[in-house]
Amino acid sequence: MATIALRNLVKSYGKTDVIHGINLDIADGEFVVFVGPSGCGKSTTLRMIAGLEEISGGEILIGNEVVNELDPKRRNIAMVFQNYAIYPHMTVRQNIAFGLYTSPLSREEKDARVTEAATMLGLTALLDRRPAALSGGQRQRVAIGRAMVRDPAAFLFDEPLSNLDAQLRAQMRIEIKRLHQRLGTTIVYVTHDQVEAMTMADRIVVMRDGHILQSGTPTEIYEAPVNVFTAQFIGSPSMNLLPAAEVGGRIVAQSGGPLLVGLRPHDLVAGEGEGAFSISGEVTAVEPLGPETLVHFQTEGRTVIATAPARMVPAIGSTIQASAAAGALYLFDAKTEQAMGRR
Amino acid sequence: MAMTEQGAPTGRPNRPRVFWTMRRRQLLWVWGFLAVPVLFYGVIRFYPTGHAFWLSLTDWDLMSEPSFIGLDNYTRLFADPQFGRVFRNTFAYLIMGTPISLVLSFIIAYALDRVRFGHTFLRALYFLPFITTASAMAWVWRWFYQPAPIGVINDFLSGFGIPQLAFLNSTTWALPSIMVTAIWAGLGFQIIIFMAGLRAIPNTYYEAARIDGLGEWAILRRITLPLLKPTTVFLVVFSSIGFLRIFDQVYNMTTNDPGGPLGSTKPLVLMIYQTAFSSYEMGYAAAQTVVLFTILLVVSLLQLWILRERT
Repeated sequence: MATIALRNLVKSYGKTDVIHGINLDIADGEFVVFVGPSGCGKSTTLRMIAGLEEISGGEILIGNEVVNELDPKRRNIAMVFQNYAIYPHMTVRQNIAFGLYTSPLSREEKDARVTEAATMLGLTALLDRRPAALSGGQRQRVAIGRAMVRDPAAFLFDEPLSNLDAQLRAQMRIEIKRLHQRLGTTIVYVTHDQVEAMTMADRIVVMRDGHILQSGTPTEIYEAPVNVFTAQFIGSPSMNLLPAAEVGGRIVAQSGGPLLVGLRPHDLVAGEGEGAFSISGEVTAVEPLGPETLVHFQTEGRTVIATAPARMVPAIGSTIQASAAAGALYLFDAKTEQAMGRR
Repeated sequence: MAMTEQGAPTGRPNRPRVFWTMRRRQLLWVWGFLAVPVLFYGVIRFYPTGHAFWLSLTDWDLMSEPSFIGLDNYTRLFADPQFGRVFRNTFAYLIMGTPISLVLSFIIAYALDRVRFGHTFLRALYFLPFITTASAMAWVWRWFYQPAPIGVINDFLSGFGIPQLAFLNSTTWALPSIMVTAIWAGLGFQIIIFMAGLRAIPNTYYEAARIDGLGEWAILRRITLPLLKPTTVFLVVFSSIGFLRIFDQVYNMTTNDPGGPLGSTKPLVLMIYQTAFSSYEMGYAAAQTVVLFTILLVVSLLQLWILRERT
């Protein structure tokens, strides 16, 4: 168990900086998720914490100790990889025990740890199988098991669910979260999937181009994004953005306006309602989802997504009106793209 | 009828019968393409192989019609003192050549895999011997092995006051000398294959091991070597077959007395060659070929069985 701190962390390859001096404090036992598009530096940051990448500048502290020059094995962290990295020539038991390869524990203690981890992860019946005979989800559990037996100061997860299908991903999400609740170990988790970030994190760290844009609880990030990028990255479907202006105390859509108004599709409801903001346009596509219908329509030359009640499926080409209630409008400066609060 | 498909017409429509049905057309194409390799293997490979088995039971000498003589050729072969010698030589090439060449090529491949600088150039350099003609190579090595001042090796040794080694003229050293050439000739190929095998191991395996705290030696022993096993099995079998069939280097390095001195370097293939094309005893040569074939088969199967995947 340990805290992790990044102090002005820099990574450069040759003359190109990929991480531009980021700062972050991770509390003991916290579940932190790094999220961002590919190439934003989240995996590089994780690999620097693990000791797999050299640190070009700044410091990393694990449990108040600077670990910049420590080998991975001396940092007492465990890592779970996207492709699991479990060895095909070893059984599940050997794979899990591999985490204890250098441990001074006696054979009995090691066996006990392996059995305990296997029980926790529901792998007991599979202990003597080879990875080839396991499903993707089971393989990932073996990788987690190998990390668990070490009893590390922190777990690092590098996109662990990306190779799984949607259903398994949802299930593993819950399992990892439950594991965290039970073990209480610090977790740093990297993903490009905003749903994983929202559902699992105690705190989300949004990254782009080697900078941290925002860090906060899922609710904070969702409710108060600091800029357009974060606002659009978190939440599905993505937030609608329209150029707007303030006219007589009211926000109205206006192309070339000094503001950008952000509307989450779930806040923009199709129908005749009179809200704080309303627009209309021609329907280009509809996506019935069961409990609701997503309506795509054109306005001000942009495609906007609104929600409609399940039974209401407007015809393509028809004109539709949609409105958002007060408090559901996210305002941004059109030039800097920084947030200007909600209205 | 209890069930009728909705919308289906009752009874089959009267389609005109076509000779070239889809199935027949597919079969024509399938057999058309298969015919090429079937003919090739049948005429060029299997027929001569089968025929060699038959010839080994005859006394054919190229001039007269072969006549059946039963197992005479085999009894003669196993009583032939030259065969015992040749058999020992062949296995000497195999038993020393295969492990030495594999260990060497693995060490070089393992080191090359880590080199970033001039990687492609170095790899090409190691591969060069493999694309060089065996005879040219053999003649160069033959020159290396000459007495001083002509031969580089002896010249070098004499510089330190070490007495001359007879290399190719010594019954003790001729075989190892030729083997060095053969190992060197095959090294490039084995290195390339080992490097491909090493590259195929995902990097995360090594990263995971480093995080788990394994040292370089433990990583090599517990991860690299086991994961490289399919490559190793392939190379063991491939290189064994190569050494059992060694001919070029021996023939070209001992041209004045092929297989000499005093038959000390003669492998089975050279014996077959001499029996067939110097003595024209085709039947006897065929019997030797069958024995070589059997040895190759047994050795390969044995290796595959020993190195099989245990589950």
